[in-house]
Amino acid sequence: MKHISSIAGGVALGSAGIIMMSVLSGCEAPKEEPKNRYLVIEQQANGKYIVVEEMPTEGPSRAIIREKDENGNPIERFMNEAEMKALAEQEYQKVQSGNSETLKDDGGSAGMGLAGTILAVAAGSLLGNMIGNALMNNKNFAKNSATSNRSAYSRSAASSAAKSGSGKKSFFGGKSTSSSRSGGFFGG
Amino acid sequence: MMITLQKANPLEDKTLEELGFTWHTDSDGSKYVSDELVQISQDEAEAYYEATNAIYDMYVEAAEYVIKNELFFELGIPFNLVDIIKKSWDNDVHWHIYGRFDLAGGIDDKPIKLIEFNADTPTGLFETALLQWAILKHNEMDEEKQFNNVYEAISNNFKRLITLFDDTDNFNERYDGWKILFSSMDGNDEEEATTRLLQQIATDAGFNTSFEYLGNVQFNENGILDAHDNSYEYWFKLYPWEDIAHDEPELATTISNIISNQKAIILNPAYTLLFQSKGMLKILSDLFPDSPYLLKTSFEPLEGIKQVEKTVFGREGANTKIIDSKGSVLEEVEGPYGNYKKVYQEYVEFPKDLQGAKYQAGIFFAYEACGMSFRKGGEIMNNMSKFVGHVIV
Repeated sequence: MKHISSIAGGVALGSAGIIMMSVLSGCEAPKEEPKNRYLVIEQQANGKYIVVEEMPTEGPSRAIIREKDENGNPIERFMNEAEMKALAEQEYQKVQSGNSETLKDDGGSAGMGLAGTILAVAAGSLLGNMIGNALMNNKNFAKNSATSNRSAYSRSAASSAAKSGSGKKSFFGGKSTSSSRSGGFFGG
Repeated sequence: MMITLQKANPLEDKTLEELGFTWHTDSDGSKYVSDELVQISQDEAEAYYEATNAIYDMYVEAAEYVIKNELFFELGIPFNLVDIIKKSWDNDVHWHIYGRFDLAGGIDDKPIKLIEFNADTPTGLFETALLQWAILKHNEMDEEKQFNNVYEAISNNFKRLITLFDDTDNFNERYDGWKILFSSMDGNDEEEATTRLLQQIATDAGFNTSFEYLGNVQFNENGILDAHDNSYEYWFKLYPWEDIAHDEPELATTISNIISNQKAIILNPAYTLLFQSKGMLKILSDLFPDSPYLLKTSFEPLEGIKQVEKTVFGREGANTKIIDSKGSVLEEVEGPYGNYKKVYQEYVEFPKDLQGAKYQAGIFFAYEACGMSFRKGGEIMNNMSKFVGHVIV
């Protein structure tokens, strides 16, 4: 075979291959929503963090962290799964020694630190379901988890607030997104 | 020119549906996926690969020629896309993700001939990349006996949005979280599954992605946003550029500004509309008269030969006529594209099976030729034509 390639063992089909092979072998296709998450975490005026967007992803968990630099200008940074996991583990250590803000009664209402926020919303996907479920059995943790994640209900509110732009140099040079909007053009 | 077929146990409808493939039955109740596979030789597969790469190179040269000589009107390109086409052509970040060439011949020593290039919104992706492989697997056949690297090739080509011509291994190092929004029309299963498959491929490649129906996507001078006001650096639309130009002229203007201001990159890029225009078949035929892959094509009826009249834009075989050497229409498919300019392409016979059905090869291209499958139908391939996988023997 000179040039043309074929699919060997379905591995080349990535996540599609996993579904294909499980269906073809007569197993149920994994119907569960992917538990990995793509998060947008925004720093609040008080320095604490809140999850403003959350989407399930087939790929590894990832996050965009929106913060302010020393001059108060918005900056964004990207966090991969390993970095998220490291922070979650660090916070989980604190949980075990009883010092984590995720266990405090009033933690989530005002936001938490970045590590606490990540653990609160993604413990299961980052550290495994056993740890995630155990944490959720703690009433305060469950409450903090819910209140530090505004993605579900605060979208309309979040959209009216000024959005932070990217400070990165890239093809998409723009500084910030604007809030003036027009409706869908496709007549939807 | 005879096709050799091999029977294969079909996948059940229920299994197909579990795989996300819901369009397995055509509107007349017949099965869309054939229970046979076309047998091709290793050499035939290689020849399709070589031909497709050579044809793509000719398209790139011809597009350069069209842009340099301002031949947009000749190709039927809507005036309000000319600027976007030029801009997208000038910067490599507007990377062509994938396309599908339709070819005649290639079997039994018959020469490969280009029929047309679906460069903008090709379908048949799910069937080619996944389904025909699943048929091999289901029949416990050797999965390596298929020219099918479509999934991986498109995944690598998504990475090239970031690495361009460099090694795609640099992707992780250079990728900085830029997001791709994928969109198709609400209510069309086939288009949605195709789009979601592309999203899955991009996610596997390492991109942050999301899906939004076309009707919910928001556009303003600063960018492209989903229904929840998240903005995206890339937008993949399974929606024809020429339809944006004609049906959504205001959007065409907004998109032009978005691209000028470098707020977002739209996929497939606007220049793929040049490739998509069948007027290019005439330009190619002029520029490369000696190419073994091209059929003589003109904007005027050809003298004294059997030919096919097509419109520069038109899908699924609509508005196509087959005309004999004396100018009589032998066969005709009506359709909604009648207002577009016409081209006349020399007629070529498709390979046939014992029942007289004709087979057209579809070769997917993502940076290079990466996989193939067949459509089986009558003289003019239309939306009742059947999908037929292949096996290398």
